[in-house]
Amino acid sequence: MENFGHLLDGFATVISGHHLIIMVVGVMLGILVGVLPGLGAPNGVSLLLPLTFTMDPVSAIVLLSCMYWGALFGGSTTSILFNIPGEPSSVATTFDGYPMARSGQATRALTLAFVSAGIGAIAGVVMITLLSSWVAGFALQFSSPEFFAVYCLAFASFIGMGGNAPAKTLVSMMLGFALATIGMDTISGGLRLTFGVHDLIKGVSFLVAVMGLFGIGELLLTTEEGLRFEGIKTRIRPLDVLRTLAEIPRHAVAIGRSVLIGIWMGITPAGPTAASFMAYGITRRFARNASQFGKGDPSGIVSPESADHSAGTSALLPMLALGVPGSATAAVMMGGLMIWGLTPGPMLFIERPDFVWGLIASMYLGNIVAVLLVLSTVPLYAAILRVPFAIIGPIIVAVIFSGAYQIANSTFDMWLVLIFGVAGYVFKKLEYPIAPLVLAMVLGDKAEDAFRQSMLMSNGSLSIFWSNSLVASIMGLGILMLAWPLIGKVMGLRNHVRRSRQNPSTAS
Amino acid sequence: MSEENKRHLSRRAMEIATAIATAAAGGAICYGAIEIGIGWTETGPAPGYFPFYVGLLIIVGSLANLVRAISIRDWNTEIFLDIEHARPILAFALPLVGFMIATLLLGLYVATLLYVSGAMIWQGGYRWWVATLGGVAVAAAFYCIFEVAFQVPLLKGPIEGWLGIY
Repeated sequence: MENFGHLLDGFATVISGHHLIIMVVGVMLGILVGVLPGLGAPNGVSLLLPLTFTMDPVSAIVLLSCMYWGALFGGSTTSILFNIPGEPSSVATTFDGYPMARSGQATRALTLAFVSAGIGAIAGVVMITLLSSWVAGFALQFSSPEFFAVYCLAFASFIGMGGNAPAKTLVSMMLGFALATIGMDTISGGLRLTFGVHDLIKGVSFLVAVMGLFGIGELLLTTEEGLRFEGIKTRIRPLDVLRTLAEIPRHAVAIGRSVLIGIWMGITPAGPTAASFMAYGITRRFARNASQFGKGDPSGIVSPESADHSAGTSALLPMLALGVPGSATAAVMMGGLMIWGLTPGPMLFIERPDFVWGLIASMYLGNIVAVLLVLSTVPLYAAILRVPFAIIGPIIVAVIFSGAYQIANSTFDMWLVLIFGVAGYVFKKLEYPIAPLVLAMVLGDKAEDAFRQSMLMSNGSLSIFWSNSLVASIMGLGILMLAWPLIGKVMGLRNHVRRSRQNPSTAS
Repeated sequence: MSEENKRHLSRRAMEIATAIATAAAGGAICYGAIEIGIGWTETGPAPGYFPFYVGLLIIVGSLANLVRAISIRDWNTEIFLDIEHARPILAFALPLVGFMIATLLLGLYVATLLYVSGAMIWQGGYRWWVATLGGVAVAAAFYCIFEVAFQVPLLKGPIEGWLGIY
């Protein structure tokens, strides 16, 4: 009940003409970056971040978070109309969304996607409303060793649950940590890893890395694959929207299950992409008639969409309450919080309740605004995608480099973006995950500080990470996560053996 | 021509090259960390303590990736990049580098104008005056958004100075 009072205060902060305009602008820009190739949610938020340095933190976070919601919706739009996922997390939406749109039911496909996404997002926010104070209160008991253990858990689950080769995740993540240490050392004040390069003294901003890895890298991939936007021309017919709305309750089970998957994957750092694939897979497995999947089955649209969006919103819970973001975009936003002078984590709930609850309230409003806006502006954005790449490509590049320059008024950063762009291209093609690198860059300093302080407390003994039941259980969970691929293999092997005993003909 | 199309970079070669590159980065990080001290000081762990182990883990991970790259057979025949796909990438990347150099010499606005117009003429096949208009429109839009609305200055070059824009 206490949370409910806070939430009302939050609404009082956020409901104003000024903030509503910011929401609309944020969502519109978000849909734009979600729709455009090469620009995604992490990138869009990075580009917008330097522009918010002078804004007050509540307005700034409303703008950035609404851009995030908009980008998630924009990604679904291109998946359905163009068969091109605007975001990695909307890949699963193409499986059934595009076939349904191609069979002349574009409005139905879009409405299903947007409404289920909206339901997923709202479910995520409800979860945050209910749990955030509790998690933050719990985290208030944490001191440095516990925080370091939480970071370890987050990174261990990336390695164990990420789905990529564990060694590749490890390399990517550690490169992020190394990049974070470049420049001035926060404790001793000395320079680290600058190798005499003057421009490295200020460090390497995570924004530069995101712009290069996600932006330029993605553009290089897009040009390689060759852009063919054979979109489906569509008008949103209000009658079809209403008819589809009436259909939604029939998918309640699929949506409910996917929302739960999404919330879980969002809180843990598995993120929206993994959530959408998992929800799609599970819905298909439980379907009475799986033959329609891939040909335009409605539950094949609502499942990945509701999971994607519930994961996207849920990712803000660990960011706010623990200071550990659950997705790359949440990581960028958390970096923003630190730039605005706020410290994400449990103390934020005590020091700046107006900020926390303003953000949570804006998540309710922002997602509703986003559903309405995206439904009414789909034709506009579809038209933007038909602009030839010869025009759109250079504009995106120019926007990215302008953004990179704004971070620190440095041309050196622009070269770094280029280097990160090439690295991003190679990493994506070789299946090195990029999100852990960004997360490590944002969390690097905090994780290192937590580690150093723990070491000071224990006089250099690693046993401090096992010194009480709280830190030991978090660490133990982390090790379990690290070992998960091995456990999975052993269990899989056992199942395989059992199945082949029961039914020798199907085992292969 | 057909000879040329067969030339390609295999996935395995690229995996190996990347693993070696990341291992080298790890080595550089360890070296940099050792320089500033990786031991214990009276104020706690030395500044290089944390980066040293980070670098070490990069080397370990890179070696694992290297072994994997050599042992997975399919990667030998999988193509990472061939000439056919390299062309569009170069057609995109070379103007991009040109844009960067133009930015350093002329500032972001003029470089954006040239870059957008140039891409429209040579890649989009637009007439020169349409392309120039397009480039001017984009640069002007940038000016309005960044300089006027958000009041963040972008890099300017000598031409803005001659025109007396700032």
